[in-house]
Amino acid sequence: MKINTKDLISAALLIGFAVVGLWLNMDHTLGTARRMGPGYMPMLAFWILLGLGAIVLLLSLFNGPDPIPMWTGPEIGFLLAGAVGGTAAGLVAAGMPGWVGAGWNPLGIGLFVGCMIVSVVKSWRPLFLISAAFTLFGLLLEPLGLMVAIATSVVLSAFADETHKPVGVLGLVAFLCALCWAVFIYELDIRVPVWPVF
Amino acid sequence: MSWALSRRTVLAGSVVAGTASRRALAQAGAWPSQPIRLVVPFAPGGTTDLVARLVAAGLQERLGVSVIVENRAGAGATVGSEAVARAAPDGYTLVMSNIASHAISPAVYRGRVRYDPVADFAHIALVVSNPTVWVANPRSGIRTLQDAAAKARGPGGLDVATSGAGSSNHLMVVRMGQLIGVELNHIPFRGAGPAMQAVIAGQVPMMSDSLPSSVAHIRQGSVVAVGMASAQRHPAFPDVPTFREQGFDLASDSWFGLSAPAGTPAAIVERLNRETRAFLGSAEVRARFSELGGTPGDLTAEGYGDFVRREVALWAPLVQAAGATAD
Amino acid sequence: MDLFANLAHGFSVALTFNNLLFCLIGCLIGTAIGVLPGIGPVATISLLLPITFGQPATTAIIMLAGIYYGAQYGGSTTAILLNLPGEVSSVVTTLEGYKMARRGRAGAALTVAALGSFFAGTVATVVVAASGPLLTQVALSFGPADYFSLMFLGLVISAVLAQGSVVKSIGMVVLGVSMGMVGTDVQTGQQRFTFGIPELSDGVGFVSMAMGMFGIAEIILNLERPEARSVMSGKVGSLMMTREEFRRAVPSVLRGTLVGTFLGILPGGGAALSSFGSYMMERKVSKGRHEFGTGAIEGVAGPESANNAASQTSFIPLLTLGIPANAVMALMVGALIIQGIQPGPRMVEAQPDLFWGLIASMWVGNLMLLVINLPMIGMWVKLLSVPYRFMYPSIMIFCAIGVYSLQNNVFDVYQTVVFGIFGYLCSKLRLEAAPMLIGFVLGPMMEEHLRRAMLLSRGDPMVFVERPISATMLAIAAIALGAMLMPNLRKGKDAALQEGG
Repeated sequence: MKINTKDLISAALLIGFAVVGLWLNMDHTLGTARRMGPGYMPMLAFWILLGLGAIVLLLSLFNGPDPIPMWTGPEIGFLLAGAVGGTAAGLVAAGMPGWVGAGWNPLGIGLFVGCMIVSVVKSWRPLFLISAAFTLFGLLLEPLGLMVAIATSVVLSAFADETHKPVGVLGLVAFLCALCWAVFIYELDIRVPVWPVF
Repeated sequence: MSWALSRRTVLAGSVVAGTASRRALAQAGAWPSQPIRLVVPFAPGGTTDLVARLVAAGLQERLGVSVIVENRAGAGATVGSEAVARAAPDGYTLVMSNIASHAISPAVYRGRVRYDPVADFAHIALVVSNPTVWVANPRSGIRTLQDAAAKARGPGGLDVATSGAGSSNHLMVVRMGQLIGVELNHIPFRGAGPAMQAVIAGQVPMMSDSLPSSVAHIRQGSVVAVGMASAQRHPAFPDVPTFREQGFDLASDSWFGLSAPAGTPAAIVERLNRETRAFLGSAEVRARFSELGGTPGDLTAEGYGDFVRREVALWAPLVQAAGATAD
Repeated sequence: MDLFANLAHGFSVALTFNNLLFCLIGCLIGTAIGVLPGIGPVATISLLLPITFGQPATTAIIMLAGIYYGAQYGGSTTAILLNLPGEVSSVVTTLEGYKMARRGRAGAALTVAALGSFFAGTVATVVVAASGPLLTQVALSFGPADYFSLMFLGLVISAVLAQGSVVKSIGMVVLGVSMGMVGTDVQTGQQRFTFGIPELSDGVGFVSMAMGMFGIAEIILNLERPEARSVMSGKVGSLMMTREEFRRAVPSVLRGTLVGTFLGILPGGGAALSSFGSYMMERKVSKGRHEFGTGAIEGVAGPESANNAASQTSFIPLLTLGIPANAVMALMVGALIIQGIQPGPRMVEAQPDLFWGLIASMWVGNLMLLVINLPMIGMWVKLLSVPYRFMYPSIMIFCAIGVYSLQNNVFDVYQTVVFGIFGYLCSKLRLEAAPMLIGFVLGPMMEEHLRRAMLLSRGDPMVFVERPISATMLAIAAIALGAMLMPNLRKGKDAALQEGG
């Protein structure tokens, strides 16, 4: 009996989604087969998902081995720290007055802080530094404008790759700012703040 | 980037050149001195969006600054409306207020809509109102509302298609059911197009629609207009009797207009009202709108404010009766 | 020989200098927005609508149509080069196209996409001209029950999009269907799974999901394996197709054209189904089916042709009934109405210039796209030789701007981040993203038609087997499901036996 770790986790993921979905779906009216309520189709979908998850689980016990590399201590530690830190930062931000607590900024701040904490560990950097840079773009775009958002998130994302040199990054920032201005602002005329507004 | 060049050329030819000189002129006066944002709380392509773009072009010409249409769709048109309710009341942010965002959705999304459709806005002008029309498939045998009522009371009942749940058309179906005394079998679609197709194909015998999306099909004879849900017969369709004439006391128009955040200076509201009505009053625009089945609005700013207040009071209880909630 | 006379009339309209110019402008803009991730034809057409007010109706429609099919051409470019699908149809193109690019055959993939699309566009144009009104009757004969069964068949066959385990990929399809349930229920207006977030009331964004699960996840994976990307940037390969590749692509293009021409006529979902319907077909019947998953040219040629054919024939319901089949067509209706023209069955007689001019311009536009795109392939492929450390921040920024500009809302940006992390997790677990995206698109349509069919049949499920179209679809679905699951279960059992013994 060889356990397929990847399938086992996949099964857990599918079953997890199905169970949470079925639980959330308890709020919705099922209705009858003739006049189906909003909860009817989700119920069907989540039960099928649960069944499929169970089949994947069953198969995973036999069709292995397909191990995934074990995470090291720091990797697990910082992942948890990131989750906790990010959630905390988001909640704190939501309670703050002004820009920090407005609109979707708490979500962005939480995501950003969480991703930054995890990217302390080098092996997590590609995943979480890119996510952090993408989030940062969203955070800065409206208050500081397109140019600042491009510059900061490109610089941050550059740390995800070791082959970068400072001059190359600066050149890239300048090039992207010029290109995005030409394409998105000058030509397509999309509604985005370009420069910081004071 | 050769495409870029050509697009510039087109723009320059048709839009930009005209505004350049006027922009310089506008800087002298107090308002307007910068571009005006017109938020459309629907995705691009719908009737509201199209009318908004027509109005934007008209206002741009009259005010001398560019009027930019911005689509912010979502949650029954409440997302975009809320954004405008909270914007600075400086006359540079306007919204295309409409029957969904300002009369029906606040009742449907009770407690979750964070604006008051009356108090949080300075209502500017009614742009257009469209009567509701009930059409039937020619082979369904339904020619009058009495035919429809008879079919509804018979075995199997009557299926009526609409452009979607929670729309004014849907609420019309509910009210009609109350008048007939039998619940109608409401078949909601995703937009008027698919619903009309189902009626033409004979899958659903009837449809409750706003006139502009039905006009062409009525003229072609692919559907029959059974009743017009407005106070008077429509000038473009003098042969179609109203609901009242057929013994059903129902009149409902869907409408949209211009509104700004509450607190916008009265002088700006007045100016916008004047310019909008002047644009809507031009013979060409009137002809275009009535060809489409709509009636251009001609209300004062106060008149439109009162109109919105009446509509809010009218629809809230109906939404509850229909059981359309967003919980 | 009315057809030829009419077509000749159409060409005399389409080939005037002004119409040619605007057709060209439309094609160029369309290609450009297709290449940019996130910015789609709907947003662009509505932006450009006011510009067309000053033009005659025929010119306006020709230009808007050019944007529409230009975007289809452009969309395949980023899908092939960067694994960035901007639209439903390009999700399928990423599967084999991006693999081909990684093997150094990006040029061939782009070439076959352009040539296949041109051929399919030509055939579809003739079909629209010759039998548009006839085909409308086919579209009208599809009731809700038939649509449901078509969608169901689509979901079943979408499991073959996956390279790995069939059960897992069906799981991903169903997960996608579940995610499609997020948002306002069409039938009752109730909010489902939105957690009170207004942004979710129109559902999870397709572009956010596609950009996150394909684009961002791919960047992260590439950064994790430096050796893989050096292979990618080093090998540009020959631009032209080899004789062998050409020979393999021809039957796929023919089959794809057939599938796309037919499915494009069905309003709502038909065009979306066409490209992966064709992929499924190629995977089962083409000679190169054993290469699928490693960059088979059939997997690009078929779906790209199907998608372009469908985008042409999706004009049929608009031109003959006045009913828009999708959001782009709804905008076209709007443009016509602003011009004072009522689209509808009488348009052929009332507006012959417009009707036949548009049809002729479709072909002219396709030719233009070919002429524009073939020389540009060399330029696109050169992009791949840019070092990856410069590529990935650029892709990231373009995705971010594109996603933001959809609704001018940063929520979409954060949503993309979450899907990026989820997509990374899925690819580590060998859960396929493509079936999930297809499920996400088709699921809500399937629900809508299921509920409508049951409403109309007064709750009698027999309607699905009584209607011949529906019954046929369901039968094919059952056979396909059986055929797919059999070998999988057997393989699982074999493996278990081997290990036990």
